[in-house]
Amino acid sequence: MTVTRTAAAGLALLLAAACTAPTPPRSQASTAGSAACTQPQGSPGPETATTIDVVEQAYFCILGNHYGGATLDARSLLVAGFAALTQELNRNGRDLPEAGMPPLTGDRKADWAAFEAAYRKITDRVPDLRDRLAVVTLESMVAALGDDHASWTHGGRRPPDMYDGDGYGLGLEANVTRSQATGDLGTALPPLFVTAVLGGAARAAGLRPGDVVESVTGSAPFIDGKATPAIAALYPRYPEARPVRLRLLRQSTGRRWSVTLKPGLYERDPAALRVVTSKLLDDDVAYVRLTAFAPDSATRVLKAMTRLRTGRTLAGVVLDLRGNTGGSVKEAARLLSAFVHGEVTAYLCTADGRCEPVRTDDTVELLGLPLAVLTDRGCASACEHFSSAVKDLRAGRLVGARTAGVISGPSQGYLLRDNTVLAFPARHHLGPAREAIDRIGVPPDHHTPLTPQDAAAGRDPALAKALTLLHE
Amino acid sequence: MRQILALAAGLAVLAASACSAPVPPRSAAPSAPPAGPAALPAPTGPRPVGTTVLYLKDTSRPDPWNPDAEARELKVTLWYPAERRDGRRAPYMTAKESEILMRREGITGVPYDTLSRTRTNAVEDARPAGRDLPLVVLSPGFTKPMNTLTSLAEELASRGYVVAGIDHTYESHATTFPDGRVAECLACDSDTDPGFGTGVVRGRAADVSFVLDQLTSAWDRSGLIDRSRIAMAGQSIGGAAALAAMVKDSRVRAGIDMDGTTYARIPRSGFSRPFMFLGSAEHVPGGRDSSWDRDWRLLTGWKRWIVLSGGEHGSFTDLPLLAEALGIKPASGVLPAARGAELTRAYVAAFLDRHLKGRPGPLLDGPSPRHPEVRFCPAACRRS
Repeated sequence: MTVTRTAAAGLALLLAAACTAPTPPRSQASTAGSAACTQPQGSPGPETATTIDVVEQAYFCILGNHYGGATLDARSLLVAGFAALTQELNRNGRDLPEAGMPPLTGDRKADWAAFEAAYRKITDRVPDLRDRLAVVTLESMVAALGDDHASWTHGGRRPPDMYDGDGYGLGLEANVTRSQATGDLGTALPPLFVTAVLGGAARAAGLRPGDVVESVTGSAPFIDGKATPAIAALYPRYPEARPVRLRLLRQSTGRRWSVTLKPGLYERDPAALRVVTSKLLDDDVAYVRLTAFAPDSATRVLKAMTRLRTGRTLAGVVLDLRGNTGGSVKEAARLLSAFVHGEVTAYLCTADGRCEPVRTDDTVELLGLPLAVLTDRGCASACEHFSSAVKDLRAGRLVGARTAGVISGPSQGYLLRDNTVLAFPARHHLGPAREAIDRIGVPPDHHTPLTPQDAAAGRDPALAKALTLLHE
Repeated sequence: MRQILALAAGLAVLAASACSAPVPPRSAAPSAPPAGPAALPAPTGPRPVGTTVLYLKDTSRPDPWNPDAEARELKVTLWYPAERRDGRRAPYMTAKESEILMRREGITGVPYDTLSRTRTNAVEDARPAGRDLPLVVLSPGFTKPMNTLTSLAEELASRGYVVAGIDHTYESHATTFPDGRVAECLACDSDTDPGFGTGVVRGRAADVSFVLDQLTSAWDRSGLIDRSRIAMAGQSIGGAAALAAMVKDSRVRAGIDMDGTTYARIPRSGFSRPFMFLGSAEHVPGGRDSSWDRDWRLLTGWKRWIVLSGGEHGSFTDLPLLAEALGIKPASGVLPAARGAELTRAYVAAFLDRHLKGRPGPLLDGPSPRHPEVRFCPAACRRS
């Protein structure tokens, strides 16, 4: 969800800024479902305190609308919420004799009543912790879904000095992405190294792509080849501002040194932030990079390809989806429809196996050119919908690294009573052969791992391989 | 004016009918039988008003939106004090522009040429009067043609200002060029991209600097303008562009942002040239858009933050004035169109009189019983 949340935040920011009203990206999910919660209309009002009534609303909202809601054992949510509550009490030195889990029966309503009664008894004893306890309870209930597209957006603050397009953090990207570092560490491979310097502290300290990170604030990023949670410190989120100390190795010179990087805002070039960028390579390949399946992105990509095709014969197109944070199901299906018609690109299913197919939009004109798609661990959600369909339907070749495996299903927002937004999928995503993509990712046809030496030299083995394939 | 507007070499010059167009307030629902074409309110200043159009080409930089364009082409509409009041009134826009705008905004129920029949007050290509006049650059909202600020432009010209309104090509639904080409909104393709606003105001600041270069030197009527007295105002992202242009180009001595979220970086050390925020209720301190709060702290010179009660995003433009002709009924509780135009004209002119003419009137000193809708922030207008 980290990945998709970033994209959604970017879009929300622009909603406030731009003057035309863009279509919200992930709007195709269910409109049916429980009346416990409704989809937000316009921007929500100012947030109010989260109360047990809000937690109750979220509980029934999840059970009524989440794709697994009908079959989920609701007790798992209540136990997770209660566990977090007791931990928070304990952390505050306020543990209580009556803070034991009430017995649950499996009856969702009766269990909620029992939970709420126990909750109220506890919070009456610690009224000063009331707001905080509601927050941790709700956070844990959402986390208990184990759903990478479930989130509860609350207390969202932006740095007051932020400008549109600014980044926040250390100003670098590494081969282990934010999504991997804060999600599934099992997918990360050593060594940890810088892949891009975006600005801020990393640029000021002179870091370069290819620099190997040997330790993060005193901790090893990998132990016995397995990634450690220390890596997450590379990606602080506002308001986290604790300095991060890195020990670095520049392999080209053998230099070892340490830097202390303070998280902060950094300016980025608006031209580099465009969701669609394109150029002609080798005089006969249209290269288009797409960073998110934003509204109209399929049309924009196809326009760019058509423009590069005008007046010349192309050997093919390279679609660079590395770092693509996902977005709209419809845009993914539409873009695919320029390469294949009459096919199912994905299935959106309930937990009990009722599935709706997502089909190609055969009004989109076929491009009629060979396609190579660049993927990596940053390609998430709608990006994986697209990539899995390219692979399964043989619409082109995938080159690079396995995708993120963060594609539970298209997320839908629900407004809660405290004006916060709860989001999760009403349908689970499966690939064109009804295979699970979530947590697995899409393995590329051609695996082209990036090394620190490649990053330092500015080499792009995936792009080189794609060009070779198109010229065969 | 056609003859005297011949520009120096390198510039494409063409006096043509004033063009461009509007768009209606979104909040309203169609209703009521259409009332026929709109008429813009008469300017209140003493001077007759003329208008003409220049087409300029900046070959020093690529177009930010159209990779196939060889240069940045701009259409600049000028309003200025004229010698005489008689002559043909300039058209508001072409019928084709009217149609494109109405289609883009989804307005049906009235003929597609309705906007082009809007009655203006400025005389087309009238002979200008005076010299060394203060200059005001105007920049419209995103997707909006320059002429959506005509009511304000005509008012300022009647009060002795030269007004240069820029159609930032490809950032409007329709801009017509002399060869008949209509440039549509290419920038609309990417308007949800992160950094979009930042990129737009950067480009608009470059447009402004280029237009100032041309008007103050290359133009053979540059004597009309006092190059030491230049200000800029804009609505929505055009207001954000006013701030961006000021930060980048010291020739712009003062600026007004009408209800635009801002994007330009003000130096951390502060910025001392006069600036005024003029906003709708969305833009109160601590409101949903925090950009004015951010910038307010960095403005170290003369500054005002004014919010119009009942004002909407479009209240600072012609759009509410055109709503009735489009069969659109205003939402309830909203500042009436004529009053919005009146307040916008009064407060913008008061700002310019103070900073370009050295005539500080009382209007900007604080609340006025004649203008109860006007709140002076941040002190008097906390979010309710």
